[in-house]
Amino acid sequence: MGSQAEIADPGIAPPSSPRDVEARARLRAVAARTQPFVAAGDRRLAVSGLLGELLPAGGVQRGSTIAVDGSPGSGSTTVALALAAAATAAGEWAAVVDPGGTLGARCAAEAGVVLERLAVVRRAPPDRWGAVVAALLDGITVVVAAVPPRVRLGDARRLVARARERGAVLVAFGAWPVEAAVRVHTGPSQWRGLGEGMGLLEARDLNVRVDVKGRGYARAG
Amino acid sequence: MTRTCCVWCPDWPVVAARHRDPSLRAVPVNVCERVGAREVVRAASAEARAAGVTRGMRRREAEAQCPDAVCVDTDDALEARTFEIVARAVEELTPRVVLDRPGLCAFPTRGPSHYFGGDNALARRVHEGVVSALAGLHHDGPADEIRIGIADGGVAARLAARRAAHEAPFVVEPGGSAAFCAPWPVAVLGDPELTSLLVRLGLPLLGDVAALPADAVSARFGAGGRRFHDLARGLDAGPAVLVTPPPDLVEQMELDPPAARVDQVAFAAKGLAARLLFRLAERGLACTRVVIEAETEHGERLARCWRHDRVLTPAALAERVRWQLDGWLAAAGDLRGDEDLDDTTGGLTLLRLVPEEVVPADGRQLGFWGGDQAAHDRADRALARVQGLLGYEAVATAVVQGGRTPLEQVRWVPWGDAREPQRPLVVGTFPTAWPGSLPAPYPARVFDPPVPAQLSDEHGHAVAVSGRGEQSAPPARVACAKLPGGGGGVRAWAGPWSSDARWWDPTARRRCARWQVVVDCGADGGDVACVVVVEAGRAGVEAIYD
Repeated sequence: MGSQAEIADPGIAPPSSPRDVEARARLRAVAARTQPFVAAGDRRLAVSGLLGELLPAGGVQRGSTIAVDGSPGSGSTTVALALAAAATAAGEWAAVVDPGGTLGARCAAEAGVVLERLAVVRRAPPDRWGAVVAALLDGITVVVAAVPPRVRLGDARRLVARARERGAVLVAFGAWPVEAAVRVHTGPSQWRGLGEGMGLLEARDLNVRVDVKGRGYARAG
Repeated sequence: MTRTCCVWCPDWPVVAARHRDPSLRAVPVNVCERVGAREVVRAASAEARAAGVTRGMRRREAEAQCPDAVCVDTDDALEARTFEIVARAVEELTPRVVLDRPGLCAFPTRGPSHYFGGDNALARRVHEGVVSALAGLHHDGPADEIRIGIADGGVAARLAARRAAHEAPFVVEPGGSAAFCAPWPVAVLGDPELTSLLVRLGLPLLGDVAALPADAVSARFGAGGRRFHDLARGLDAGPAVLVTPPPDLVEQMELDPPAARVDQVAFAAKGLAARLLFRLAERGLACTRVVIEAETEHGERLARCWRHDRVLTPAALAERVRWQLDGWLAAAGDLRGDEDLDDTTGGLTLLRLVPEEVVPADGRQLGFWGGDQAAHDRADRALARVQGLLGYEAVATAVVQGGRTPLEQVRWVPWGDAREPQRPLVVGTFPTAWPGSLPAPYPARVFDPPVPAQLSDEHGHAVAVSGRGEQSAPPARVACAKLPGGGGGVRAWAGPWSSDARWWDPTARRRCARWQVVVDCGADGGDVACVVVVEAGRAGVEAIYD
């Protein structure tokens, strides 16, 4: 009778043999070792490094908007590039809208971006900004867009909707006036390696605060 | 099978170069092109070839073989617009000219051959017409070499043109194409992969291949081999299955204001070509022959047919449109003859692409893991759209190259161009030495030119650097608009590293000194690391580590 009851209730997983339990434990151990790890069917891009650990489920959801801000020099560009690297590491394309034309490409390569698959829009008049970002969201997985001052709320909302519809990730770089799934704020950081007239920059401690809609995260890495 | 006449101008790049610069007529000429990092010979004049220069030879080697030869760079646009003269001369005799590439065109002979009284008479007329059109441009010196072959089928006609001499067109009798093709080596049909296999199988001549049973060839080599077998037997029926293109596949674009420059139209043509082929692909078709049509502001209509041995890709089609536009637009101004070329006067108002011959697309191999190609196409379309909005140069991709400063170490290349560094960062497997360049980590923001700043010591005096590269005092304060809070006190620093770049060139020489500095920008900004440069007494922030 017992076996019949199990068949009749498909909601309950079949009892696993001791061998299965052991295999599952081993699989979990492998998955933990090879983090970040995203199953093929997942609509998520894995972000590597410490930033990935801060983000919910170790990555960014396709179709979501992420706002990154922080004062110049605090590491906000590095954070945005790490998100772009998530796309190129998965074999997909990333784009940066950088109207000032000041992005350092070697820093992007250092952050893990594959430069062959990174397109940089080096000049974009403010009145065309929305059209350019919308066109990029149509075909590119991660679009890092430096938000111009006084962006219109309607434009920003349209871009969020466009990203959701196309399954692309919009990384709004700068003050973002509308909602975002994740907000990353970089605070004052400390540099190491440079002394009084000697040494060279080696490493720094980033101060990153991640706010997920509804939840608050804060951590330095 | 269509009886075809083929007009071939050997070494067309050389002929075109000599038309531009008549002084080259007296000397041997090599036309060189860049293939990857090497410069190789694309075409050589007869004198240079007699001295041992061959196609594909490296430029340096060619210069050693024939030291008195002049090397000129290849110029596709020049070749295309000079060939327009030949195309127009042939067009006087028949309206159905099809261009293969600059230097080679063909037309079906049935009508004109009857009209002019036989193949030989037709060939002589074509020869006279083309030679006099080309001679009309320079009036002196020996006539350019023109070879004309007539045979059943396009491939046999092309081989007949190769057999022909300058003054003596070569006519293969009707039905004689198979026998004519048999003694040629298999390499003449292109397709290097199949050719090399056939040679290794002991089938070096077209006749050997033709002797094989057709079903055996199909079984062993598939559809491509079957077509090769047909060509080898002199059967050139065109594409296997010809589909009449649906009339609504014509792509056209109106140009307002009229375009007078080639690059304006050529950029637009790229999108047009991609759209046409995309729409054909949606119906499972691919294009092998296309008519490029244009209208000028004075109401003239220009049309020319281009064909391609294999299937036209968007890039190949866009290139042909560009060649043709060069022929029409630039020819009017550049090579204006007395009466033959001045009919293209105004700018272009309309550009139209008409697929004339389409075949079923036999598909494209996707990447091993599937969807990669689709994502690539999507990304390319999105970036092309942004280039359309902002201009071609606005979208760039970065190439890391050799250099000392963060600015020199990166070259920005427009998206779609070849990603080649100007200066190598790595030669073979060795990183080349760029002494004085800063190691990783690299700055995330690089300013060109540096943002003006003040670098001062603890007494408020500007820090200066002596001719021996020593600083007047340790830096204590940096002020710059790009730093949060306008700058602040120096927490840590290293330098100065002086650099004297291009000291051998008085105009490009740059002497400057750099510091790596960590600036305390107050409670909000925290520590900001940057590179400060002092050049000619003025300080600037060159890069910020963000």
